[in-house]
Amino acid sequence: MSLQTPRVLPSHLHAFNPSTAGPRSPPPVRLLGTVTALRGDTATITCGTHGEVTLILKPDSHLQMGKLVEVVGKVAEVDGGLGIKVLATVDWGNPADCDYKIYEKLVDVTHRLKPLFYDSVE
Amino acid sequence: MPGETTSPAGGKGERNDTLRPITIKQALEATQPFPEANYQIDSHDLGSVVFVGQLRNISRQSTNVTYKLDDGTGEIEAKQWVTPGTEDSMDTADDLAPAANGVEINGYAKVFGKLKSLYGDRKVVTTHSVKPITDINELHCHFLEAAAIHLFFTRGPPPSAGGGGGAKDAAMGGVGAGGYGGETGGGHLPAMSPVARRMYNLLKNKPQTNEGLAAQQIAAELGLPMADVARAGDELLTAGVIFSTVDEQTWALLEY
Repeated sequence: MSLQTPRVLPSHLHAFNPSTAGPRSPPPVRLLGTVTALRGDTATITCGTHGEVTLILKPDSHLQMGKLVEVVGKVAEVDGGLGIKVLATVDWGNPADCDYKIYEKLVDVTHRLKPLFYDSVE
Repeated sequence: MPGETTSPAGGKGERNDTLRPITIKQALEATQPFPEANYQIDSHDLGSVVFVGQLRNISRQSTNVTYKLDDGTGEIEAKQWVTPGTEDSMDTADDLAPAANGVEINGYAKVFGKLKSLYGDRKVVTTHSVKPITDINELHCHFLEAAAIHLFFTRGPPPSAGGGGGAKDAAMGGVGAGGYGGETGGGHLPAMSPVARRMYNLLKNKPQTNEGLAAQQIAAELGLPMADVARAGDELLTAGVIFSTVDEQTWALLEY
Protein backbone atom coordinates (compact mmCIF):
# COMPACT_ATOMS: atom_id res chain seq x y z
CA MET A 1 0.00 0.00 0.00
CA SER A 2 1.30 3.37 -0.87
CA LEU A 3 1.49 6.19 1.59
CA GLN A 4 -1.75 8.10 1.74
CA THR A 5 -2.80 11.10 3.77
CA PRO A 6 -6.52 11.78 3.33
CA ARG A 7 -7.71 15.38 3.42
CA VAL A 8 -10.27 15.86 6.18
CA LEU A 9 -12.33 18.35 8.14
CA PRO A 10 -12.43 18.40 11.95
CA SER A 11 -15.65 16.36 11.98
CA HIS A 12 -13.84 13.44 10.32
CA LEU A 13 -11.09 13.12 12.90
CA HIS A 14 -12.90 10.44 14.90
CA ALA A 15 -12.63 8.07 11.93
CA PHE A 16 -8.84 8.26 12.16
CA ASN A 17 -8.55 7.95 15.92
CA PRO A 18 -5.96 5.21 16.52
CA SER A 19 -7.53 4.11 19.82
CA THR A 20 -10.90 3.33 18.23
CA ALA A 21 -9.95 2.53 14.64
CA GLY A 22 -9.34 -1.17 15.24
CA PRO A 23 -6.22 -3.23 14.73
CA ARG A 24 -4.86 -1.37 11.71
CA SER A 25 -3.22 1.92 12.45
CA PRO A 26 -5.09 4.68 10.57
CA PRO A 27 -3.14 6.81 8.11
CA PRO A 28 -2.05 10.35 8.89
CA VAL A 29 -4.49 13.03 7.77
CA ARG A 30 -4.23 16.42 6.11
CA LEU A 31 -6.07 19.35 7.58
CA LEU A 32 -6.28 22.96 6.45
CA GLY A 33 -6.79 25.84 8.84
CA THR A 34 -5.74 29.23 10.12
CA VAL A 35 -3.42 29.46 13.11
CA THR A 36 -5.41 31.17 15.87
CA ALA A 37 -3.39 30.34 18.98
CA LEU A 38 0.21 29.42 19.72
CA ARG A 39 1.14 27.99 23.12
CA GLY A 40 4.69 26.72 22.90
CA ASP A 41 4.34 23.04 22.15
CA THR A 42 0.68 23.19 21.14
CA ALA A 43 -1.27 25.40 18.79
CA THR A 44 -4.85 25.83 17.62
CA ILE A 45 -6.03 26.11 14.05
CA THR A 46 -9.48 27.19 12.96
CA CYS A 47 -10.86 25.27 10.00
CA GLY A 48 -13.22 27.64 8.25
CA THR A 49 -16.64 27.32 9.90
CA HIS A 50 -15.87 23.81 11.11
CA GLY A 51 -14.37 24.68 14.47
CA GLU A 52 -10.95 24.45 16.00
CA VAL A 53 -8.40 21.70 16.24
CA THR A 54 -5.55 21.48 18.71
CA LEU A 55 -2.14 20.64 17.29
CA ILE A 56 0.70 19.00 19.17
CA LEU A 57 3.71 20.61 17.58
CA LYS A 58 7.12 19.20 16.81
CA PRO A 59 10.16 21.11 18.11
CA ASP A 60 10.94 22.18 14.56
CA SER A 61 7.41 23.24 13.61
CA HIS A 62 7.36 26.88 12.67
CA LEU A 63 3.82 28.20 12.72
CA GLN A 64 2.92 31.84 12.51
CA MET A 65 -0.22 33.43 13.92
CA GLY A 66 -2.88 34.25 11.38
CA LYS A 67 -1.35 32.20 8.57
CA LEU A 68 -3.12 29.48 6.65
CA VAL A 69 -1.41 26.13 7.17
CA GLU A 70 -1.85 22.66 5.81
CA VAL A 71 -1.05 20.16 8.52
CA VAL A 72 -0.09 16.54 8.00
CA GLY A 73 -0.30 14.55 11.20
CA LYS A 74 -1.67 11.67 13.21
CA VAL A 75 -4.92 11.97 15.10
CA ALA A 76 -4.27 11.89 18.85
CA GLU A 77 -6.26 12.48 22.00
CA VAL A 78 -5.68 15.90 23.50
CA ASP A 79 -7.36 17.04 26.72
CA GLY A 80 -10.16 14.54 26.27
CA GLY A 81 -10.85 15.67 22.71
CA LEU A 82 -9.22 14.86 19.41
CA GLY A 83 -6.26 16.75 18.08
CA ILE A 84 -3.41 16.27 15.65
CA LYS A 85 0.15 15.24 16.40
CA VAL A 86 1.96 17.21 13.74
CA LEU A 87 4.32 15.48 11.31
CA ALA A 88 4.69 18.34 8.84
CA THR A 89 3.17 21.70 8.04
CA VAL A 90 3.03 23.78 4.89
CA ASP A 91 2.53 27.51 5.11
CA TRP A 92 0.03 28.83 2.57
CA GLY A 93 0.20 32.47 3.59
CA ASN A 94 -2.84 34.69 3.87
CA PRO A 95 -6.07 32.78 4.66
CA ALA A 96 -8.00 35.34 2.60
CA ASP A 97 -6.35 33.95 -0.54
CA CYS A 98 -7.95 30.56 -0.02
CA ASP A 99 -11.57 29.81 -0.75
CA TYR A 100 -12.33 27.37 2.07
CA LYS A 101 -15.52 26.30 0.30
CA ILE A 102 -13.42 24.71 -2.46
CA TYR A 103 -11.59 22.74 0.20
CA GLU A 104 -14.89 21.60 1.74
CA LYS A 105 -16.06 20.40 -1.67
CA LEU A 106 -12.74 18.70 -2.25
CA VAL A 107 -12.94 16.80 1.04
CA ASP A 108 -16.47 15.77 0.15
CA VAL A 109 -15.41 14.54 -3.29
CA THR A 110 -12.37 12.67 -2.01
CA HIS A 111 -14.57 10.67 0.32
CA ARG A 112 -17.10 9.89 -2.38
CA LEU A 113 -14.65 8.86 -5.07
CA LYS A 114 -12.39 6.34 -3.37
CA PRO A 115 -10.95 5.00 -6.65
CA LEU A 116 -9.45 8.40 -7.36
CA PHE A 117 -8.14 9.37 -4.01
CA TYR A 118 -7.79 6.91 -1.18
CA ASP A 119 -7.93 3.23 -0.40
CA SER A 120 -10.55 2.52 2.21
CA VAL A 121 -9.89 4.88 5.05
CA GLU A 122 -12.72 4.22 7.42
CA MET B 1 14.24 12.01 -26.25
CA PRO B 2 17.44 10.27 -25.20
CA GLY B 3 17.23 7.41 -22.76
CA GLU B 4 13.47 7.35 -22.79
CA THR B 5 11.69 4.04 -22.87
CA THR B 6 10.53 3.16 -26.35
CA SER B 7 7.37 4.89 -27.37
CA PRO B 8 4.53 2.48 -26.81
CA ALA B 9 2.26 4.33 -29.17
CA GLY B 10 4.65 3.71 -32.04
CA GLY B 11 2.82 0.69 -33.37
CA LYS B 12 -0.59 2.22 -33.37
CA GLY B 13 0.32 5.47 -35.04
CA GLU B 14 -2.67 7.16 -33.46
CA ARG B 15 -2.19 10.63 -32.15
CA ASN B 16 -3.53 11.32 -28.72
CA ASP B 17 -2.93 14.95 -27.88
CA THR B 18 -5.05 14.99 -24.78
CA LEU B 19 -4.02 16.37 -21.43
CA ARG B 20 -5.77 14.73 -18.54
CA PRO B 21 -5.70 15.93 -14.93
CA ILE B 22 -5.16 12.96 -12.62
CA THR B 23 -4.28 12.08 -9.05
CA ILE B 24 -1.14 10.13 -8.26
CA LYS B 25 -3.26 7.19 -7.13
CA GLN B 26 -4.81 7.06 -10.58
CA ALA B 27 -1.36 7.09 -12.16
CA LEU B 28 -0.19 4.24 -9.94
CA GLU B 29 -3.28 2.20 -10.76
CA ALA B 30 -3.26 2.90 -14.50
CA THR B 31 -3.29 -0.30 -16.52
CA GLN B 32 -1.89 -1.41 -19.83
CA PRO B 33 -4.07 -3.62 -22.04
CA PHE B 34 -0.86 -5.37 -23.12
CA PRO B 35 2.84 -4.75 -22.43
CA GLU B 36 4.27 -1.68 -24.16
CA ALA B 37 0.77 -0.36 -24.83
CA ASN B 38 -0.46 3.03 -23.77
CA TYR B 39 -1.50 3.31 -20.17
CA GLN B 40 -5.21 3.56 -19.56
CA ILE B 41 -7.30 5.09 -16.79
CA ASP B 42 -11.02 4.34 -16.70
CA SER B 43 -10.47 2.33 -19.94
CA HIS B 44 -9.34 5.42 -21.82
CA ASP B 45 -5.90 5.83 -23.34
CA LEU B 46 -3.77 8.46 -21.72
CA GLY B 47 -2.10 11.13 -23.75
CA SER B 48 -0.30 13.61 -21.57
CA VAL B 49 -1.19 13.91 -17.93
CA VAL B 50 -0.99 16.70 -15.41
CA PHE B 51 -0.84 16.16 -11.68
CA VAL B 52 0.09 18.03 -8.54
CA GLY B 53 2.09 17.01 -5.53
CA GLN B 54 4.33 17.98 -2.70
CA LEU B 55 8.00 17.57 -3.56
CA ARG B 56 9.53 14.98 -1.26
CA ASN B 57 12.88 14.72 -2.98
CA ILE B 58 14.76 16.29 -5.84
CA SER B 59 17.75 14.43 -7.20
CA ARG B 60 19.83 16.02 -9.88
CA GLN B 61 21.85 13.83 -12.17
CA SER B 62 23.87 14.67 -15.23
CA THR B 63 21.17 13.55 -17.64
CA ASN B 64 18.00 14.14 -15.69
CA VAL B 65 16.37 15.56 -12.60
CA THR B 66 14.15 13.20 -10.65
CA TYR B 67 11.39 14.59 -8.48
CA LYS B 68 9.50 12.52 -5.96
CA LEU B 69 5.98 13.80 -5.49
CA ASP B 70 3.25 13.07 -2.97
CA ASP B 71 -0.26 14.45 -3.33
CA GLY B 72 -1.83 12.65 -0.38
CA THR B 73 -3.12 9.81 -2.58
CA GLY B 74 0.23 8.23 -3.37
CA GLU B 75 3.81 8.81 -4.37
CA ILE B 76 5.37 8.82 -7.80
CA GLU B 77 8.60 9.91 -9.44
CA ALA B 78 8.82 12.38 -12.27
CA LYS B 79 11.88 12.55 -14.48
CA GLN B 80 12.85 15.63 -16.38
CA TRP B 81 15.52 14.98 -18.96
CA VAL B 82 18.23 17.56 -19.23
CA THR B 83 18.68 17.95 -22.94
CA PRO B 84 22.24 18.68 -23.93
CA GLY B 85 20.95 20.95 -26.66
CA THR B 86 19.85 23.60 -24.21
CA GLU B 87 23.29 23.91 -22.69
CA ASP B 88 24.48 26.14 -25.46
CA SER B 89 21.74 28.66 -24.96
CA MET B 90 22.09 28.65 -21.18
CA ASP B 91 24.75 30.42 -19.21
CA THR B 92 25.36 27.65 -16.72
CA ALA B 93 25.18 24.06 -17.80
CA ASP B 94 25.16 22.75 -14.24
CA ASP B 95 21.86 24.11 -13.05
CA LEU B 96 19.57 24.14 -16.02
CA ALA B 97 15.88 24.92 -16.05
CA PRO B 98 14.99 22.52 -13.21
CA ALA B 99 17.03 24.55 -10.76
CA ALA B 100 15.60 27.80 -11.96
CA ASN B 101 11.99 26.68 -12.01
CA GLY B 102 11.45 27.75 -8.42
CA VAL B 103 10.35 24.46 -6.92
CA GLU B 104 11.62 23.44 -3.52
CA ILE B 105 11.43 20.47 -1.17
CA ASN B 106 8.05 20.22 0.59
CA GLY B 107 6.59 22.85 -1.70
CA TYR B 108 3.78 21.95 -4.08
CA ALA B 109 4.37 21.62 -7.78
CA LYS B 110 2.35 20.96 -10.90
CA VAL B 111 3.82 18.45 -13.30
CA PHE B 112 3.02 17.97 -16.97
CA GLY B 113 4.22 14.80 -18.66
CA LYS B 114 3.60 11.32 -19.90
CA LEU B 115 3.18 8.16 -17.85
CA LYS B 116 5.82 5.52 -18.66
CA SER B 117 6.82 2.19 -17.24
CA LEU B 118 10.30 1.83 -15.87
CA TYR B 119 11.90 -1.58 -15.27
CA GLY B 120 8.65 -3.39 -15.79
CA ASP B 121 6.35 -2.69 -12.90
CA ARG B 122 7.50 0.72 -11.74
CA LYS B 123 5.85 3.79 -13.15
CA VAL B 124 7.46 7.11 -13.79
CA VAL B 125 6.27 10.30 -15.39
CA THR B 126 8.59 11.80 -17.95
CA THR B 127 7.98 15.47 -17.67
CA HIS B 128 8.88 18.57 -19.58
CA SER B 129 7.48 21.05 -17.08
CA VAL B 130 7.54 21.21 -13.29
CA LYS B 131 6.15 24.43 -11.89
CA PRO B 132 5.61 25.57 -8.32
CA ILE B 133 2.04 26.09 -7.09
CA THR B 134 1.64 29.22 -5.04
CA ASP B 135 -2.15 29.44 -4.87
CA ILE B 136 -3.79 26.74 -2.77
CA ASN B 137 -7.02 27.08 -4.76
CA GLU B 138 -5.17 25.82 -7.83
CA LEU B 139 -4.26 22.72 -5.88
CA HIS B 140 -7.83 22.04 -4.77
CA CYS B 141 -9.20 22.87 -8.18
CA HIS B 142 -6.89 20.32 -9.78
CA PHE B 143 -8.32 17.49 -7.69
CA LEU B 144 -11.86 18.55 -8.52
CA GLU B 145 -10.96 18.61 -12.21
CA ALA B 146 -9.51 15.13 -11.94
CA ALA B 147 -12.73 14.00 -10.26
CA ALA B 148 -14.89 15.62 -12.95
CA ILE B 149 -12.94 13.94 -15.75
CA HIS B 150 -13.11 10.58 -13.97
CA LEU B 151 -16.86 10.92 -13.64
CA PHE B 152 -17.19 11.90 -17.29
CA PHE B 153 -15.40 8.75 -18.42
CA THR B 154 -17.13 6.38 -16.02
CA ARG B 155 -20.65 7.78 -15.86
CA GLY B 156 -20.99 9.96 -18.94
CA PRO B 157 -21.63 13.70 -19.16
CA PRO B 158 -23.37 15.36 -16.22
CA PRO B 159 -27.19 15.44 -16.43
CA SER B 160 -27.38 19.21 -16.81
CA ALA B 161 -25.12 19.05 -19.85
CA GLY B 162 -26.62 15.70 -20.87
CA GLY B 163 -28.91 17.26 -23.45
CA GLY B 164 -26.08 18.84 -25.35
CA GLY B 165 -23.78 15.89 -24.88
CA GLY B 166 -26.42 13.37 -25.77
CA ALA B 167 -27.46 15.21 -28.89
CA LYS B 168 -23.86 15.51 -29.97
CA ASP B 169 -23.28 11.83 -29.35
CA ALA B 170 -26.27 10.96 -31.44
CA ALA B 171 -25.04 13.20 -34.21
CA MET B 172 -21.62 11.63 -34.03
CA GLY B 173 -23.24 8.24 -34.34
CA GLY B 174 -24.78 9.30 -37.61
CA VAL B 175 -28.30 9.60 -36.22
CA GLY B 176 -28.53 13.33 -36.72
CA ALA B 177 -32.27 13.29 -37.30
CA GLY B 178 -32.94 11.96 -33.85
CA GLY B 179 -30.54 14.37 -32.25
CA TYR B 180 -32.97 15.63 -29.73
CA GLY B 181 -33.86 12.09 -28.81
CA GLY B 182 -30.52 11.93 -27.11
CA GLU B 183 -31.87 14.04 -24.36
CA THR B 184 -35.09 12.20 -23.70
CA GLY B 185 -34.68 9.42 -21.23
CA GLY B 186 -31.67 11.12 -19.75
CA GLY B 187 -33.82 11.69 -16.71
CA HIS B 188 -34.37 8.09 -15.72
CA LEU B 189 -31.29 6.60 -17.33
CA PRO B 190 -28.71 5.15 -14.98
CA ALA B 191 -25.19 6.52 -15.09
CA MET B 192 -23.26 5.05 -18.00
CA SER B 193 -20.12 5.49 -20.02
CA PRO B 194 -20.16 7.70 -23.11
CA VAL B 195 -19.92 4.68 -25.42
CA ALA B 196 -22.88 3.00 -23.74
CA ARG B 197 -24.83 6.23 -24.02
CA ARG B 198 -24.14 6.47 -27.75
CA MET B 199 -25.23 2.89 -28.19
CA TYR B 200 -28.39 3.56 -26.21
CA ASN B 201 -29.17 6.56 -28.41
CA LEU B 202 -28.58 4.51 -31.56
CA LEU B 203 -30.91 1.75 -30.39
CA LYS B 204 -33.45 4.38 -29.46
CA ASN B 205 -33.36 6.33 -32.70
CA LYS B 206 -32.51 3.91 -35.49
CA PRO B 207 -35.47 2.36 -37.27
CA GLN B 208 -35.30 -1.39 -36.63
CA THR B 209 -37.35 -4.56 -36.42
CA ASN B 210 -38.37 -5.95 -33.08
CA GLU B 211 -35.24 -8.06 -33.22
CA GLY B 212 -33.22 -4.96 -32.48
CA LEU B 213 -29.70 -4.42 -33.78
CA ALA B 214 -26.78 -6.82 -34.07
CA ALA B 215 -23.48 -5.93 -32.48
CA GLN B 216 -21.76 -5.78 -35.91
CA GLN B 217 -24.36 -3.30 -37.13
CA ILE B 218 -23.90 -1.16 -34.03
CA ALA B 219 -20.13 -1.25 -34.43
CA ALA B 220 -20.44 -0.11 -38.03
CA GLU B 221 -22.94 2.64 -37.24
CA LEU B 222 -20.93 4.06 -34.36
CA GLY B 223 -17.54 3.43 -35.95
CA LEU B 224 -16.35 1.53 -32.90
CA PRO B 225 -14.35 -1.66 -32.45
CA MET B 226 -16.39 -4.75 -31.56
CA ALA B 227 -14.72 -4.99 -28.16
CA ASP B 228 -16.07 -1.57 -27.18
CA VAL B 229 -19.53 -2.45 -28.42
CA ALA B 230 -19.48 -5.69 -26.46
CA ARG B 231 -18.42 -3.83 -23.33
CA ALA B 232 -21.09 -1.16 -23.79
CA GLY B 233 -23.62 -3.94 -24.44
CA ASP B 234 -22.70 -5.61 -21.17
CA GLU B 235 -23.03 -2.31 -19.39
CA LEU B 236 -26.49 -1.65 -20.81
CA LEU B 237 -27.58 -5.24 -20.11
CA THR B 238 -26.44 -4.93 -16.52
CA ALA B 239 -28.27 -1.63 -16.23
CA GLY B 240 -31.37 -3.38 -17.52
CA VAL B 241 -32.13 -0.94 -20.32
CA ILE B 242 -31.62 -3.41 -23.21
CA PHE B 243 -32.18 -7.13 -23.68
CA SER B 244 -30.77 -9.70 -26.09
CA THR B 245 -33.17 -10.98 -28.75
CA VAL B 246 -32.37 -13.63 -31.43
CA ASP B 247 -28.88 -14.28 -30.07
CA GLU B 248 -26.55 -12.89 -27.45
CA GLN B 249 -25.08 -10.37 -29.86
CA THR B 250 -28.35 -8.75 -30.87
CA TRP B 251 -29.96 -6.25 -28.59
CA ALA B 252 -33.15 -4.25 -28.45
CA LEU B 253 -34.21 -1.48 -26.16
CA LEU B 254 -36.26 -2.50 -23.17
CA GLU B 255 -39.09 0.01 -23.39
CA TYR B 256 -40.97 0.84 -20.27
